[in-house]
Amino acid sequence: MDWVYTGRCWKFGDNLAVDADLTKKEFAMQRETRPEVLREFCMCGVDPDFPKKVGPHDIIVAGRRFAQGNPHIQGLLGIAALNLGLVVESIPRGSYRNAINAGLPFMTHCDGVTKECETGDQLRVDFSTGIFENLTRGTQKTYQPLSREHLGIIAQGGWKPMFAKRIATMRADGRIAAT
Amino acid sequence: MGQTITEKILSRVMKRPVKAGEIVYPEPDLMTVHDWYVVNFDKALQEQGVTQLFDPKRVLISTDHEPVATNPASAERQKNVREIVRKYGITQFFDVGRGGLGHIFPMEMGLITPGMFVLAYDTHVTNYGAVGCLGIPMVFEIPEVLACGSCWIQVPETVRVNLTGRLNKGITIRDVSQRMIVDIGEDNLDYSVVEYGGPALTDIDFGGRMTLCNNPLEMGAKSALIETDQHMVEWLKPRVKDKITPQVSDPDATFKSIYDYDLGCLEPQVAAPPRPDNVVGVSKVAGVAVNHAFIGSCANGSIEDLRDAASILRGRKIHPSVRLFITPATQEIAIRAGNEGLITAFMESGAVMTAPGCGPCAGGRISPVAPGEVSINTGTRNDPGRLGTTKADVYLASPLTVAASAVAGEIVDPRKYL
Repeated sequence: MDWVYTGRCWKFGDNLAVDADLTKKEFAMQRETRPEVLREFCMCGVDPDFPKKVGPHDIIVAGRRFAQGNPHIQGLLGIAALNLGLVVESIPRGSYRNAINAGLPFMTHCDGVTKECETGDQLRVDFSTGIFENLTRGTQKTYQPLSREHLGIIAQGGWKPMFAKRIATMRADGRIAAT
Repeated sequence: MGQTITEKILSRVMKRPVKAGEIVYPEPDLMTVHDWYVVNFDKALQEQGVTQLFDPKRVLISTDHEPVATNPASAERQKNVREIVRKYGITQFFDVGRGGLGHIFPMEMGLITPGMFVLAYDTHVTNYGAVGCLGIPMVFEIPEVLACGSCWIQVPETVRVNLTGRLNKGITIRDVSQRMIVDIGEDNLDYSVVEYGGPALTDIDFGGRMTLCNNPLEMGAKSALIETDQHMVEWLKPRVKDKITPQVSDPDATFKSIYDYDLGCLEPQVAAPPRPDNVVGVSKVAGVAVNHAFIGSCANGSIEDLRDAASILRGRKIHPSVRLFITPATQEIAIRAGNEGLITAFMESGAVMTAPGCGPCAGGRISPVAPGEVSINTGTRNDPGRLGTTKADVYLASPLTVAASAVAGEIVDPRKYL
């Protein structure tokens, strides 16, 4: 997996709600998981045109408690479906798990990162080393990347491929029944 | 090196000592799923060709999010759930009318005991901490738990809270609890288990203990539990067949932080829109007109909560512009409320009883609000859309404050009504 994302910055503030800002709540109620559906509504609560504006490897930068609320995965699946990266000052652990489950490259506990960039800046972020570069400003910061275990799940595409692999392994070992 | 209760429970399950920070794959003693995810987990398992669960005897399904089907799609889903339960041989299935809210009735039935480890498809499984069980939410990955018997978790650190002091008149544990999670703060609570003890614990009833274990989730805690005390043992004795093993942390256990928290809160607390941590004294929001009120949920649907509500509603009428829904969380609570005359008091006041379960708090599928309306209720969250439309304001408060506000037609301090 290519851990280095180079793209434009899209900056947001604190407390973005997972079910109201990141996507439509109804998708959570319907347990919608299709990427082609969810990407069209990515960040619709704050900017309905967001999916049309962004390109692959652009990076969302946000403040504290990104994706707060009931830990529904739909908003994070939408970000992953647009092939974006995510750098935040904090993310509640339910959404932390779901970002990993969605296969979304991200970094958290990046204190003060919202002061390091503005929307439109060109960024380069290495999610495996934690190096955050603002190419527009010519500045660089280093944050704590995710653990190897969590990067490993993201590298495989998130929870679903990991689950399929575990099932295959357990089936081969005879620990669960054959199909 | 000493261990916290959480480390002890996960060490027992892993059959080796574990400490905070480790990533482990512990097999839970019980896995619970509610009615709204059964069809989804079945689909996820079918996609992988899984035909058997890891251990169907350890799976519990509850019909609580939408106990009474109100449209053809719900009726069909309920039918599918029943067929899926049969297909996988799940014996612990509590359909409508058989249990109620799945974060509460298993404790009443003696199925949850101190030291147990439970994974659940729903965040508020942490209620089981009221009897010293470690309940951890496992939402999107629950099919893996059902098929493979486990999923990764990082052993959480523990925030220890020693409760001190006494409740003032008209102040409930809900007031203290929603204030406390803000005071302790997200940085402390994030991915931590809140462990309660201290001298004030002895005065806190079972309903209050559930509330204490319920609220921290909203600020990012992984779980919450209460150390075993005599009160807990006495509550469990008539319900549990097996020996009760008390759960306490070692004196030299390592805590992330330790707080002494005084119950002597001076004013009822209300969580104003749009988040459960936007907590203010009731005087700051007094006078806001309300249309919709609800008493129930896994946070405040206990018999003690209903008694509080009745203490205000008995002999009074709900304001003409307000509709008040009351949801006993479980069948047992509904029966007790009937026997104690609480339901009569509620009905005479103009309130409506709904089927045991989550009530309106489960996404507003039952008695939602309309755009432009205002609700005050005892639910768990007040995000936009929690009760249906995103264009309504939702305030969270104690059963006393909700009941008094339903009578007044606006948010009021309940102490004037006691």
